[in-house]
Amino acid sequence: MDNLLMLMQGFTVVLTVQNILACLFGAFLGIIVGAMPGIGSLAGVALLLPLTYKFNPTTAIIMLGALYYSNMYGGSYSAILLNIPGDSPAIMTTLDGYPMATKRKRPGQALLTANMSSFIGGTIGMLILTFMGPALADIGLKFGPAEMTALLLVAMTSIGWLVGDNPVKGLLLTCLGILIAAMGMDTLSGVPRYDFGNIYLLGGVPFTPFVIGMVGFAQVIRLMGDRNKKTESKIEQNLTIKGSLLTLHDFRRLLPPAIRSGFLGTFVGVLPGAGATTGAFLGYATQKAFKNEEMLGTGAIEGIASCEAANNAAAAGAFAPLLALGIPGSGTGAVLLGGLMMWGLNPGPLLFTTNPEFAWGLIASLFIANILTLIIALGIIPFLIRILSVPIKLLIPIVSIICLVGSYSTTYSMYGVFVMLISGVFGYIFEKSGYSTAPMLLAFVLAPLLESNMRKAFIISQGSMDIFFDKPIALAFIIVLFLLILFPIVRFLLTKFGVLKKKIAK
Amino acid sequence: MKKFATVLLLISLSISLFAQGGAEAQGGAFSPSRDIEWTVTSSPGGGSDIYTRMISDLASKMDLVEKNFLINYKTDGGGEVGRLTVSRTKGDLANHSLLTFNSGDLMPMLKNTDNRIENFTPIAVMAVDKQLLYIGEYSQYTSFAEVLKAIEGGKSVVIAGSKGDDIATYEALIEELGINENQLSFITNDSTSAAITSILGGHVDLCMSKPAAASQYVLAGKLKPILALSQTRFAGNLSEAPTLSEVGNYKNVEVPVWRGIVGPKDMSPEAAAYYSAMAKSVSDSEAWKNDYILKNGLLSEFKGAEEAAAFMAAFQATYLKKIGK
Repeated sequence: MDNLLMLMQGFTVVLTVQNILACLFGAFLGIIVGAMPGIGSLAGVALLLPLTYKFNPTTAIIMLGALYYSNMYGGSYSAILLNIPGDSPAIMTTLDGYPMATKRKRPGQALLTANMSSFIGGTIGMLILTFMGPALADIGLKFGPAEMTALLLVAMTSIGWLVGDNPVKGLLLTCLGILIAAMGMDTLSGVPRYDFGNIYLLGGVPFTPFVIGMVGFAQVIRLMGDRNKKTESKIEQNLTIKGSLLTLHDFRRLLPPAIRSGFLGTFVGVLPGAGATTGAFLGYATQKAFKNEEMLGTGAIEGIASCEAANNAAAAGAFAPLLALGIPGSGTGAVLLGGLMMWGLNPGPLLFTTNPEFAWGLIASLFIANILTLIIALGIIPFLIRILSVPIKLLIPIVSIICLVGSYSTTYSMYGVFVMLISGVFGYIFEKSGYSTAPMLLAFVLAPLLESNMRKAFIISQGSMDIFFDKPIALAFIIVLFLLILFPIVRFLLTKFGVLKKKIAK
Repeated sequence: MKKFATVLLLISLSISLFAQGGAEAQGGAFSPSRDIEWTVTSSPGGGSDIYTRMISDLASKMDLVEKNFLINYKTDGGGEVGRLTVSRTKGDLANHSLLTFNSGDLMPMLKNTDNRIENFTPIAVMAVDKQLLYIGEYSQYTSFAEVLKAIEGGKSVVIAGSKGDDIATYEALIEELGINENQLSFITNDSTSAAITSILGGHVDLCMSKPAAASQYVLAGKLKPILALSQTRFAGNLSEAPTLSEVGNYKNVEVPVWRGIVGPKDMSPEAAAYYSAMAKSVSDSEAWKNDYILKNGLLSEFKGAEEAAAFMAAFQATYLKKIGK
């Protein structure tokens, strides 16, 4: 119970007026920054960092921690209401969030589902962090290149569950995503690939503008086609907080996936370089294996809950290696680390021993930020859902501007805007032709991770495949991988020979 | 739009931090007539950013410059776009543009583009850094001599390191040892901390790092230095690591990693002299020595405009020859 005592001490550090205000400010800003597509936690923390140099380190990190954490809440808003992921983990949220808000006409419930699950997932992540932070970080260390490769192969394979009705089209776009991700400098040797002699392409295709274009701007083009249709005011009744409340039945549906994803997400967050996006994706993919009341992808509560919970849990989990070992699990973590050093702290394996009030203060502040963010979120949801009653002809310019600003602010240059516009046009064409872009976006995120880990593994093993079979963790994932691949084939064969009954087509 | 306004406000607030212009103007032929645009070609929060903020903060605090520094982050094209833009800046703006420029920026620029150091006006070299090789808790070896013996015995050993500078040092090391990349292989990680992660997990045998990034791990007993990639041994708790010439019949391997400042080619000599003097004053200050050099385990090796120009040109010539360009 030592950890619990330390946590209580942490709370005494945090519970001063100044620190709570800092936490509140961070949480509020985080929601806003998270909801703005393109300005993710990385940019938010980076922008706020210089402001905090004059603060005392504990107050500063509390504010930044709250900002980073609450970001994961805000990311779902534009995903659910506008079908534009506010940050990359929210790609998965669009899959069920947007249909639930528009087709099922339950926008308030969709937002609340996202935030309740975020709260549950985050709380699970923080509890795990509190009780086994350093141990957790050690587990993360066990994941070297070979283990990560095996895990990522499993993740890449489960993209198959997202390809939709037409596997060939899904596969095609997955491959396209991998190709686009390969542009820019090779991660290991720094050799330019597919740069076509263009200096901008040397740095590759930036992720955020690409996603905003593929999902968000494609949506704008689609809206243009519908602009003359009357907005049959979709949501008359739900404009109040009362109208957005979840029923007991809804809550029962969101709880199991949120808890499952909470554990899964924390674990993924701890892994070096895996991040919240991988967490959200694996959470959603896992949910496919469980019972869902409605089909995933049609606006199912379970779908939103599984990825949002995983995403927040991963954000909490990522603090374990950061605090226990000084290892940033993500870009945002790296910026936080830079901040720690500016304040004269030495992040590393000694942080818990040399600055316990700081480390535990930060963990305690995450708990408080979690609660504060939920309260803020509950307060603004009724206002947020009014966005859906905005007429299409007004929505088009508004969303266009959000897309432009979001893509510009990734690198503060027009390059991002061009990437966004071009991918927007392609995104629209793909959708019109019945291709779903989600597999492509996930391949785009996962492929570079897979590539660099696989190549590192082969350097270590001198090109031998044995490395994936000699290490127990890697072997376990490889077995899962084979099961995943073989399962449909075996089922097909069994059905063919009449051992299994044929499934009745839906 | 309220959100956008908030973000704008935030940006302007963070910029205003640098709005501490001093009262006195510096003597000499040139003094800035407008705010100075300082380009950094990597993301905020990283090593280059901290370095740039340290210099600009000190220059403002010490009243060396009466205008403000506007720091721009230009990361497009792996930083090449920012470097190209600064190199092509003309006219009055050229006298008010600075670029944070390190050996780790120069090497990819030479390798992947046609941009050369001749397109810039070198202003200063502020600090030099060097690397060491470390073993972790799970390493099979306890000294570099053992590593060499294992390689002779036909084993292959893996080093994890970061990009740019580390690769150059690794290449110089295997060249001096006369072995190939399969005998002693190198894994490029995105950052030194990722390299340290892999040795802490026991996935590689050795890890290359500069003193600052590894110091906490050495203190905690998680890493142990076994080879100084330098002409002389390091000080403090790194002093036990021998140089290569102490390990065997080899020359010492040292590829200095430097941090500098350059301006556009079109910058006037007077302006270059002005900024060089500013950098010199910063470099001489106690705050710089304590809060930057000492804290990051760096060596303070100030080179003024002319010296820096010669140094960078020589570095470029050596590197171009090595990559056969």
